[in-house]
Amino acid sequence: MSEIPSAPRPTETIVLPKRFRAPEIAALLDEIRKRTGGEPVTLDFRQVEDFDIATLAFLRRLMSGLPGAVPANVPEGLARAEAGFVQHLQGPGLEKPSVPSTGTRSGRFFRSVADQFLVRIRTLGRFLAMLGDEVYHLGVYLRKRRGVYPGETWNQMYFMGYQSFPIVCLLLFLVGVTISITSAKQLQLFGADIYLADLVGYAMLRELVPLMTGVILAGKVGAAVTAELASMSVLEEVDALKTMGLVPEKFLMVPRLLAITLVVPLLVAMADVAGIFGGMIVARIDFGMTFSAFITEMVTTVDWADFAWGLVKTVVFGWAVVVGAGFKGLTVGRSAEEVGRATTESVVLSVTLIIVIDCIFAFVIY
Amino acid sequence: MDIISAHDLAVGYGQEKVLRDMSFGIPEGRITVVLGVSGSGKSTLLKTLAGLLPPLGGGFDFAGCPVDYRSEASLDNLYGRIGVLYQGGALLNGLTLFENVALPIRMHYPEMPEGMVRDMVQAGLAQVEMADAAAKYPSELSGGMRKRGALARALALDPDLVFCDEPSSGLDPITSSLLDDLLLKLKGTFGMTLVVVTHELRSIERVADRVLVLNDGRLHFAGEAAGLAASDDTFIRTFFLKEGQP
Repeated sequence: MSEIPSAPRPTETIVLPKRFRAPEIAALLDEIRKRTGGEPVTLDFRQVEDFDIATLAFLRRLMSGLPGAVPANVPEGLARAEAGFVQHLQGPGLEKPSVPSTGTRSGRFFRSVADQFLVRIRTLGRFLAMLGDEVYHLGVYLRKRRGVYPGETWNQMYFMGYQSFPIVCLLLFLVGVTISITSAKQLQLFGADIYLADLVGYAMLRELVPLMTGVILAGKVGAAVTAELASMSVLEEVDALKTMGLVPEKFLMVPRLLAITLVVPLLVAMADVAGIFGGMIVARIDFGMTFSAFITEMVTTVDWADFAWGLVKTVVFGWAVVVGAGFKGLTVGRSAEEVGRATTESVVLSVTLIIVIDCIFAFVIY
Repeated sequence: MDIISAHDLAVGYGQEKVLRDMSFGIPEGRITVVLGVSGSGKSTLLKTLAGLLPPLGGGFDFAGCPVDYRSEASLDNLYGRIGVLYQGGALLNGLTLFENVALPIRMHYPEMPEGMVRDMVQAGLAQVEMADAAAKYPSELSGGMRKRGALARALALDPDLVFCDEPSSGLDPITSSLLDDLLLKLKGTFGMTLVVVTHELRSIERVADRVLVLNDGRLHFAGEAAGLAASDDTFIRTFFLKEGQP
């Protein structure tokens, strides 16, 4: 026969001190955990005079059944303050409006997926609209040479080109070394050492230099452009441009698009040289292949078309980076935290665009 | 004559109306102060009147022409005739103060000789007592200097109307008073129309000719500043005379 369980009785009483604020509450909670081992304890409030909002929150939790403790002898003033505190909690605007859930769980899931899809489609539409606007603004600027701050294109070229040059060349040199080392092992198995030059040249010019340069630009240029434009939006500088009668999408974006278009060919050329040089060094060390033998072999496979395709691809990647960065920067909200989020999203967007475009190019070229 | 006349204007963000059913006029050559407690929609109203935020209902005329947010030409006309002093100044950080003030002139009149641009900018900066700081970047200026520099930029194209969004916010009383003096000088010397958004009582008392009081999502009062002190409206008395609790 089973017994009806009875409610646990308080076994111990703690008389709370005159000053009972957040630090004392924290210490008490710790003490309760240690001393009672799960047994309820009575908290005697009769001496409490000095309290704060944490005391009221704690008392509210006790009254609504905090496990392990029950209140007793709560002074009238404290009880009144607690009642007022509860009223504030129930005041308008504090409770989140509850959204009535309709339909089945699977129905809600599919509706949520559909909503997300529509949001993505709308964002894509706005991005494409901005891309179209930028092409238009660039065309108008090239014809009329108005609406862009003089010298800004040079500033952007300095930042995007000159300041990106060392990191692009260094990384592509290392990529050249890596691809060469990993390929050399395989080629040696077949006695096809000489083809290392063809492999490095082809991979670098067609794929690795454009892709890696695009990704480096996304991380360095894209993030900086988004952070700058988003900060300008938050600080009302973009609004200021509008009320001066300027078009921010033109004033801010055209110099950046012109700059990326002009510096990418130089970057690609330098990166091609750096990457191939990395491969040549490995070929020299591993196989004793001279530089001239490497180049002679390489030019039997790769030609100017490979270089040109790599160049075209990288310019398109550069545009994707700058337009993506501008899109994220100029559509940011009004808070400082959105600047950081927009910057991260910009890099993700740019890298995604680069890979998607690269995939499309692969279908077109090969 | 009113340079701006609004009729049944509703403003807000997205679909949420912050202010609704507002009909009022902004008279030419005077200083109109828009006031209300924080969050009452003062800056939102200013953004709509400055062509930055489309109205959610009704509309307004500028110099007798309706402002159509769907028309680029209508907005360009508005932008060409107003200047805006933003709360934080909104000077472009990559440009010196001189270049900031020269920006609207260079952009709108690219054929203007550089010497003439220089003279115009120097005169504009002297007007706000900032000629010595022309070569400095915004980050090298104090809050008050940034606002005075931004005012010089707002005045660069000689606008018919200047909006000032909380010009005194974040400034000490002396700097704030200097800025008020500047606004009064602009009205007195050039007969300029100004719309000042603020909740600084001292500024209101000094500069306001007319006031628009916003409260509870609506235009609570529109009239002469002189009449406010005698108002027996509870909200206005609370706001101005600090009687009772808001």
